[in-house]
Amino acid sequence: MKKKSGQFNFGWLFAIIVGGAILFFAIYGAMKTGDTQRYQSDTQVARSISILTDPLQAGFSQGSYGSIHFREITRINNLCYDNGFGRNDLSVSTRSDIGQEWNMPGSEASVHNKYIFSPENIQGKDFYVFSKPLELPYKIADLVFLISDNYCFTEAPEDIVSELSAFNIPNIQINNCTLPNQTKVCFVYKTGCDILVNTNDGKIIKKQEELYFQGRALMYAGIFSDKRNYICNTKRLLYRGQTIAEELIKKSDIMSSRGCQSSLKQDLVSWKLTLNNTSPDNLADLHNQLVEIENKNEKEQCSLW
Amino acid sequence: MVKLIHSKKGDMQIQQMAFMIVAVFIFFGLVGLFFLNIQMRKLNTNADNLQTEQAISSLQVIADMPELSFSRTETMTIDEDKLLIMSGNFSDKYKDFWPVASVKVYKIYPGFSETIKCPAQNCNYYEIYDNGQKNYKEYSTFISLCSKQRESNSIFDKCNIGKLVVGVKIYEE
Repeated sequence: MKKKSGQFNFGWLFAIIVGGAILFFAIYGAMKTGDTQRYQSDTQVARSISILTDPLQAGFSQGSYGSIHFREITRINNLCYDNGFGRNDLSVSTRSDIGQEWNMPGSEASVHNKYIFSPENIQGKDFYVFSKPLELPYKIADLVFLISDNYCFTEAPEDIVSELSAFNIPNIQINNCTLPNQTKVCFVYKTGCDILVNTNDGKIIKKQEELYFQGRALMYAGIFSDKRNYICNTKRLLYRGQTIAEELIKKSDIMSSRGCQSSLKQDLVSWKLTLNNTSPDNLADLHNQLVEIENKNEKEQCSLW
Repeated sequence: MVKLIHSKKGDMQIQQMAFMIVAVFIFFGLVGLFFLNIQMRKLNTNADNLQTEQAISSLQVIADMPELSFSRTETMTIDEDKLLIMSGNFSDKYKDFWPVASVKVYKIYPGFSETIKCPAQNCNYYEIYDNGQKNYKEYSTFISLCSKQRESNSIFDKCNIGKLVVGVKIYEE
C-alpha cells in the first residue's frame, strides 16, 4: 500500500509526544533548579547578614557602624520572637520579574544572641548597620540597628548630634534635610515631623503610636524599628537583664566567700523583680532605681560590673 | 471476523523507540543525579564555610558577652567567677542561646598535664556549653581570665592566661 505524503505515521507521533515530554521536563527542571539556587543563595545571604553583624557589635566602644551592599534591591525580613531569650529570624527575598513583586524568601537564619532592630520588612540596595550597648545599669547587650531608609534628625540634643556625626552614616542627616523620601525625626514638636522624640519623658511618637525608652540605645531602637519589633526585642532584653541580675547575685556570693564583699546583693534581688514586672510601656519608671544601683556599684571596692 | 495483520517491521520500530526512550530518560536521570551531587557538595561546603565564619566571628562576641566579660572597659577578658557560675546549672538557661556547638575555656598558665573539669580542686577547664554533637571542629583564641581578689586590705584584679574554644559542627559526607 502506498503511503500518503502528509500522513503521520506512528514513529512521528511517538517522537513528538516523547520530545514534548523531554522538553517539558527540561524546562520544568531548569525552573526548579533556578528556584532552588535562588532559595539557596537567599538563605546564605540571611546567614551572612547575621555573621556580618558580629564585628559590628559595639563591644566595649560606645558604638560602631558598617554597611551591607547588594547588587539588586533586596528585602530583609526580620521577625522577632520573645519567648525567654527569644530570637530574631532573618530571611531574604529578591525581586521577582514574573508574577508577584517579591520571590518567596529563603530559609530563615535564627539569631538568638543578637537584638536586631528594624522594621519587619526592610528593603533597599544599601543597608547600614550600627550598634550601641544597652546598660541597665550593667551591660545587657549590644543593640543592632539595621536601616535602609533616609533619616533626618532635627533639633537633636548636642550629644546625639555629635554621636551621629561621628558615625557619619550616609543616610542619616542632621538638621540639613536634603535626602529624598526621608523620615524626619524631631526632638521639638513641629509640623511635618514623622517621628517625635521626647528625651525627658523617654517617649517616641511615630505613626500615631507611642513607644517608651530608657537610655540612648533604646531611643535609637524606637526610632529605627517598628512597634512590633521594638516591643518584642525590648521584652527579650528585659528577660536577659533579669538573667544577668541573677548571675551577678551569684557572683556577689562567690566574691564574698573570699572576702570581697559587695553590698549590692539586695539591690540586685529587687532589681531583678523590678525587671520582671516591667513591660516595654513603663521603661521610664526604671530610671531612679537604675541610677541608684549604678551609683552604688561605682562606690563599691569590689564592684560587680 | 477481522484478521489482524501484524507488521514485524513496525513492532521492531516500536521496540527500538521504547528502548531509546528508556535510555534517554536514564541518561537524563543520571545527569540530574550528577548535577544534584555537585550541588549538594557545594551546599555543604558553603554551609561549612558559613559555620566556620560564624565560629570565628563568635569568638570575640562570646568573650565580650556580659554573662562572661570581666570588665566593661576591657575586651577579651573573661571573669573567672562568672565562668564558675556559667559552667554549673545556670548555663542550662542558655541552651539555645549560643551560636556555636560548644563553648569551653581552658586555663593555660600555669601549664598542666591533664585536664580537670571545674568546679574541682586545681581545675583547669570550664565547660560552658556542649550540644552533644560528636563531629565538630574547634576554633580558639587567647583571653585573659580575671577575678577580683582581696589580700591584706587591698583589692586587685588577678589575671591568668586562658583560651576560649568554640566548636562548630562538621557536615558528614
